[in-house]
Amino acid sequence: MITVRIWFEKRNEASYISLLDMQRVMQRVLKRSSLPVWHTLGFNPHIYMTFTCPLSLGQESLCESVDVKTEAENPDFQAWQDKLNAIMPAGIHVFRVEPARDKASEIAYACYTISYPAAAQPRLEQYNGLTEALVEKKGKKSKKQIDLKQYIPALDCRTEGEKVSFDVCLPAAQELNLNPSLLTGFLEQQLGASAAEASILRTGLLKADKTPFCAGGGNV
Amino acid sequence: MFDPKLKEALSHVQKPGRYTGGEPGSIYKDKDKVDVRFAFCFPDTYEVGMSFLGEKILYELLNQHENWWCERAFMPWLDMKAEMEKLGLPLYTLESKDPLTAFDAVGFTLQYELSYTNILAMLDLAGIPLYAADRDERWPLIVAGGPCTCNSEPLAAFFDVIQLGEGERQLPAICAAIEQGKKEGISKKELLLRIAKIPGVYIPAFYDVTYHEDGRVKAITPNEPGIPAVVTKAIIRDMNDFAPPTNFVVPMVGAIQDRASIEVLRGCVRGCRFCQAGFLYRPMRQRDASLLNKAAQDLCANTGYEELSLSSLSTSDHSQLEELLDDLNSWAPQEHVSLSLPSLRMDNFSESLIEKTTRVRKSGLTFAAEAGTQRLRDVINKNVTWDEIEKTCRIAFEAGYTSVKLYFMMGLPTETMADIEGIADTAQKVVDLYYSMDHAKGKGVQVTISCACFVPKPHTPFQFVPMDTAETLQAKQKHLLESVHSRKIKVNYHDSKTSFLEGVFAKGDRRLAPALVEAYRRGCYFDGWEECFQYDTWMKVFEDLGIDPHFYCNRAIGLDEVTPWSHMDYGVTHEYLVREYKKALAAQTTQPCNRACGGCGANHLLGGPCFDYSKNLV
Repeated sequence: MITVRIWFEKRNEASYISLLDMQRVMQRVLKRSSLPVWHTLGFNPHIYMTFTCPLSLGQESLCESVDVKTEAENPDFQAWQDKLNAIMPAGIHVFRVEPARDKASEIAYACYTISYPAAAQPRLEQYNGLTEALVEKKGKKSKKQIDLKQYIPALDCRTEGEKVSFDVCLPAAQELNLNPSLLTGFLEQQLGASAAEASILRTGLLKADKTPFCAGGGNV
Repeated sequence: MFDPKLKEALSHVQKPGRYTGGEPGSIYKDKDKVDVRFAFCFPDTYEVGMSFLGEKILYELLNQHENWWCERAFMPWLDMKAEMEKLGLPLYTLESKDPLTAFDAVGFTLQYELSYTNILAMLDLAGIPLYAADRDERWPLIVAGGPCTCNSEPLAAFFDVIQLGEGERQLPAICAAIEQGKKEGISKKELLLRIAKIPGVYIPAFYDVTYHEDGRVKAITPNEPGIPAVVTKAIIRDMNDFAPPTNFVVPMVGAIQDRASIEVLRGCVRGCRFCQAGFLYRPMRQRDASLLNKAAQDLCANTGYEELSLSSLSTSDHSQLEELLDDLNSWAPQEHVSLSLPSLRMDNFSESLIEKTTRVRKSGLTFAAEAGTQRLRDVINKNVTWDEIEKTCRIAFEAGYTSVKLYFMMGLPTETMADIEGIADTAQKVVDLYYSMDHAKGKGVQVTISCACFVPKPHTPFQFVPMDTAETLQAKQKHLLESVHSRKIKVNYHDSKTSFLEGVFAKGDRRLAPALVEAYRRGCYFDGWEECFQYDTWMKVFEDLGIDPHFYCNRAIGLDEVTPWSHMDYGVTHEYLVREYKKALAAQTTQPCNRACGGCGANHLLGGPCFDYSKNLV
């Protein structure tokens, strides 16, 4: 039995599917596809499925993945990809299916492109002049103070038509996982750039040595 | 990508997935290439609306026409409604995200009286004038269908077209008339006159209602030539002409009923006198087992659902049920699909039935006893005996079930406190039965009594009876709680105030329209949701408008009175309703109609007898 990693983009409408709903959606898509995916052996057998690095509601991604298992020998992964794409909900597009090599625990960073309406640029650039950017990260049990400057020293803004965008790379490991909404929340509260106007797109997942996670790590 | 305003709204609300569309099975077309655009509106939340089978049937039927596009809209929850109002975002359909004003027709399904204010809220959110009289040709045609159209008079002023009966042929006929009318460029009036000729269509503006001085309806008369004095509901004579839908839009945000569902039969043979659906959908017609099995298999394959429900008013009355279950069980377990039968009767519930439905997954058991004593069960013609309840529970306990839910009603005609005590006694006898049988040591039983307030409904033999007052219902609820002496019995009951309002609108007339508008203006919507229901506001509205709500639901209707719904014909004659009402008062039962024809009149809808009585059907 091998573990198969299904890589997909999650954009537009699909960015509003929560992780819990995503599990149900994927379960049904896999069932419809009639691909030879492995079912658990319990009293209520269901398709074994693990999402590698779940995304927050409303954020988009170019590099989501779900792991399933199969007992099939030499599966035709291109056929898997085509079958799945034929029945995915709007906004989800599978771009690669491959045997999983790296363990999900090797993910250390997630990279994002964050975009605002062009008018927000002056407010965003004020961030670069700050000496510290303290935010509170709420965990399950405790709250933690974090200085965003430690991870994002500056916002390197570029203008693209009516948009202004910048890239950030944030820890996404078991020990520390920083949601980019911490940054957009800070920019709203401290600098007045509306978080509701921000679009967050995850562009890649990196390992601790900053090399891409898995074979090429999505589209990056 | 989404409109920036919509994106902003979505970032502020809970469960934004309710407002985005894009679900597997949803249908997208090029709007420039379609001739008729129909917005199917469900006046409650997405989760409730996506559980509704009727929408799935009509969505598939309309979208089979290449040049028509049926899309969906739902009532946004409070947070989204507030965001949309704040941002000036009109109510839109999930597929194209176009506002309702871009459509040729906007259809609402009337499932529940307490969703009426949501209809006004949805029209208002879309910027559509509420009253039909205020809408000229520029506005979409506002259409209603669903069970509550059987007395849609409180809503008559808001709708252009109201559909009585079954929509499978009727709604496509209306869309075809719209398509033709657009080509010819005819006026709204001319279009309505044409649509009025479609079977089961009621155009409220073509009728005048006059009243007696005491408030009762005097007469309902057509005001246009060629308009029938009485509208007879539309009906599908042979259910095999329409296979159940094999494609569903599969919600991604969990719906209340999130499973594959096929309608095995329509109508009901039982004739329970309180049950409006049992009278509205007569005669009972079933689909062939082979057709159902094929549809079920296709539906599960197309949707990926792992649970299949056989739905109807009374699934165990299907004459080929065992055969159907055998067919389904030949493929369902391998496909990891479990079967559920939500509407089983206690008088023909068998061991083989329970075995065939629980092969994959065991769920809870719910039985509708409806009343606590045999006398009262005879009054309502719920022909279930204690022996049958005992037998059913025995089978269930032997199969390993340890929790049973029993449905009852209170406020039934002729009911006394002894009948209320009977509810508690029935539940206690079920508990005692469990402990008298072999059961796993230390494993207790849980019996849940779920008790609804009876609301007399139009087109039933109980339409004549006054509803119990809130005070009486509350006293009965209190008495029920006092009559329960076991911790193994849990009692749930409905709020009598919501039932009161339901009763008012169920039997209401056209004079209630201003009350709906005024209550909506004062912030009443989602009335069916406990956290939103504003009883005091409603009472103040009635008072301010000089309307006595008790007139509608707490008053006995004379057997010869003109009811607000007397121009709506569902096949069952007035004489039959009177006959059944009198039998009820005498606690006399009536046979199920597949055993002996009671002469209700609905056979005329089929043009012949409903059943072949020469064969033994049960």
